[in-house]
Amino acid sequence: MDNKKSNQEIGRRDFFKKAAMSVTAIAGTSLISSNARADDPAIMHHVPWGQVWGDPVTKNRYGVPSKYEHNVLRRNTKLLASGNFRASIAVTPIQESMGIITPNGLFFSRSHGGVAHVDPAEYRLMIHGLVEKPIVLTLEQLKRYPSVTRTHFIECPANGGQEWRGPQFNSVQFAKGFMSCAEWTGVYLKTILEDLGLKPEAQWMLAEGSDNSEMGRTIPIDKVLDDAMIVWGQNGEALRPEQGYPVRIILPGWEGNLMVKWLKRLEFAAEPWYCKEETSKYTALKPTGKAIQHFYANEVNSTVTSPSPEIDWKDLKDGDLVEIEGLAWSGMGTISGVDISLDGGRNYTEARLKGLVLPKSWTRWSYMHTYKKGDVLQLTSRAMDDAGYIQPTIDQEVGVMGVESVYHRNAVETWEVNAKGEVNHVQIRS
Amino acid sequence: MFKLDRKLIITASTAATLAVITAGCMGGSTTTGSTEVNGSPTIDGGMTYPVQNNMTGPYYVNTNTLKGGYSNGRVPTANELAAWDKDVMPDGTGLPEGSGSVEDGEELYESLCVSCHGDFGSGGGGYPSLSKGNAVDMQKTLTNNRWKDPEADGPVRVFGSYWPQVSTLYWYIKDGMPHPKSKTLSDDDTYALTAYILNINEFEIDGEEVDDEYVLDREKLLKVKMPNVDGFEPNIDGPDALKRVRAYYSTPANFGAQNLNKGAERCMTDCQKKSVTTRRIKNGGIKDFLPPMTDERTLPKEEEAIDVKSVYADNCAMCHGNGVGPGFANTADWSAYTAKGMDKVYASAIHGTDGGMPPKGGSTLSDADFKSVVDYLINGK
Repeated sequence: MDNKKSNQEIGRRDFFKKAAMSVTAIAGTSLISSNARADDPAIMHHVPWGQVWGDPVTKNRYGVPSKYEHNVLRRNTKLLASGNFRASIAVTPIQESMGIITPNGLFFSRSHGGVAHVDPAEYRLMIHGLVEKPIVLTLEQLKRYPSVTRTHFIECPANGGQEWRGPQFNSVQFAKGFMSCAEWTGVYLKTILEDLGLKPEAQWMLAEGSDNSEMGRTIPIDKVLDDAMIVWGQNGEALRPEQGYPVRIILPGWEGNLMVKWLKRLEFAAEPWYCKEETSKYTALKPTGKAIQHFYANEVNSTVTSPSPEIDWKDLKDGDLVEIEGLAWSGMGTISGVDISLDGGRNYTEARLKGLVLPKSWTRWSYMHTYKKGDVLQLTSRAMDDAGYIQPTIDQEVGVMGVESVYHRNAVETWEVNAKGEVNHVQIRS
Repeated sequence: MFKLDRKLIITASTAATLAVITAGCMGGSTTTGSTEVNGSPTIDGGMTYPVQNNMTGPYYVNTNTLKGGYSNGRVPTANELAAWDKDVMPDGTGLPEGSGSVEDGEELYESLCVSCHGDFGSGGGGYPSLSKGNAVDMQKTLTNNRWKDPEADGPVRVFGSYWPQVSTLYWYIKDGMPHPKSKTLSDDDTYALTAYILNINEFEIDGEEVDDEYVLDREKLLKVKMPNVDGFEPNIDGPDALKRVRAYYSTPANFGAQNLNKGAERCMTDCQKKSVTTRRIKNGGIKDFLPPMTDERTLPKEEEAIDVKSVYADNCAMCHGNGVGPGFANTADWSAYTAKGMDKVYASAIHGTDGGMPPKGGSTLSDADFKSVVDYLINGK
């Protein structure tokens, strides 16, 4: 993507010239030392951790975050909880996310009967139905297949689904955090099927979990033979229980609910199953009264993560150069570009993609902005993917889907920065 | 792409049918681009990742490893297959023989289900409603949409009005219910509960009302006509299902998506009607975040004693505050239990009971902490 050079960019060539000019401009401000200012005790005093022994390396055989980071947490709300938080969701603090990988302890957690704790010694995976040779595998036998490692996001298709009738969550964690992204290690399902002999009348595969709800979903054979994976690794270690330890299925880019955890059984058949979670839920009701079922791929989407209701601009000074940063993702392909609007979607300009740009993965983007104190801004991001899709406006999406569909909401999202630098969730619509 | 995989995976004995598959099902023989097979978008409306020059997207693929030749695992025994293959399909595959009455179902419901799903399936405690009245009438609400008037009645999406297949109900009850103690119901119990749920949704089977005297069995269950059986798209039944699914998702207008594939330019300036307005969150929005939202990086407070009141509210009040089981601080209710000794009361509370009390009320507290919750429940302090 070839961005137009904006006036915010500072080229390497210009750096020294600008820096020299700035010295006079900012003399007397905080960058220049001045005896008139109080000395910073964090510098002037010996800090307590600098004068005593630290922990021995033998402490925390499995490391934990700094105790100062104790507010960086998955959170939940009673609105999205059945009873005792078993059929429920805890969402990722994407306002605190860095890069495109979610640490395993913060990966969003959704289950339909609680998080199961599977004994790996008793783990079995059965594959049967319309195959020439059914098999049962132990965990060790499964891991003998040649592994691949891929970075993919998982998104609950209800991400943003509370905002159809108007903005409700003044929070990026809750408005957009029903998703996370990790590096998964496992085997392509097609590699296993190679030796089992799929019968030609097989159109569908049932994936079933071993948890108390036996969460199951029907998956079309196209996806099974494209990029479906059976995984046991997550960011370099075993899957976390919340992500299906020891084994789950990954269907890159598709509804998180399809990626069955604590995976127990795969069956192939000519007809679909009509599991509970693909009929009573995970179906999107349109104003026609018909509901979309088997709504597979999460469409192209994006959000601004900084600023956000959680990360305001109250501390910015007039003229500060500040990064507007966010995430973009698509279940249909690779992010090809992100546009940013400062006026709620009336006018757009191109933002820049940052770091690795991978298929069906979170992609980071950014835009440098010179902040004018007192400005009211409406920040709207709009992503595109290489399958040709672009995020719709709210009016465009609602025009087809109405406001009762719960799932697969990917219209553009807007944060309003008010004159004080506070940030609030708003929607721009007719 | 699909054709390539199918060819690799289908066994020699079935290779004769390959031509039918590629022509009829997989849509052709040439891959014209990464997003299309024979000119049509593939099933997810977007991308497949064909391996070209050993690369799929940015990833290198060792195609040798995909060629098979592994002999991991073993063939399951017939008993093992039977033990795990318990799913129930709409045509009755997997549905066992058995029977159960509405009367028995109601009794089971009152003892096992009502604490979560409420009286007559009315819902509560965050768990789904099972009925909102007559299924045929409720199905007619599915065109309700609160786009213009957020205060209007929304669509009713419960079992009777919404679900397309009755097989799902039997299967889910047998496999997943009751939630804290699943896979403990017999086939007959499952028929009875299914009969009760059909009863409270006011179903008829083969012209006969599912009334309080009704006895359901396999044959009758397979005759249930769901009012919303045709309420879903795309159609996923029959041998041409995947062809229809692919066609459905190749039309972005079907699912509210916007596609620029035809070389259209996206709008960069003056992209909105002048009439758009800014909608703001009303009444502060939803804010009951647990734990509360903060980005403070100060040292955590010392661990405090558990808040028995909030544990009670979250885990116990749903039943003990609603007339199910001995009531909150109700000495008369509790005396029969406490007379047998507090050790027994604690043990029942910690390990759960056959009467429907889940272990520790579904909480994850330590035994010691949970005992303090039990004390609070019994004494009110």
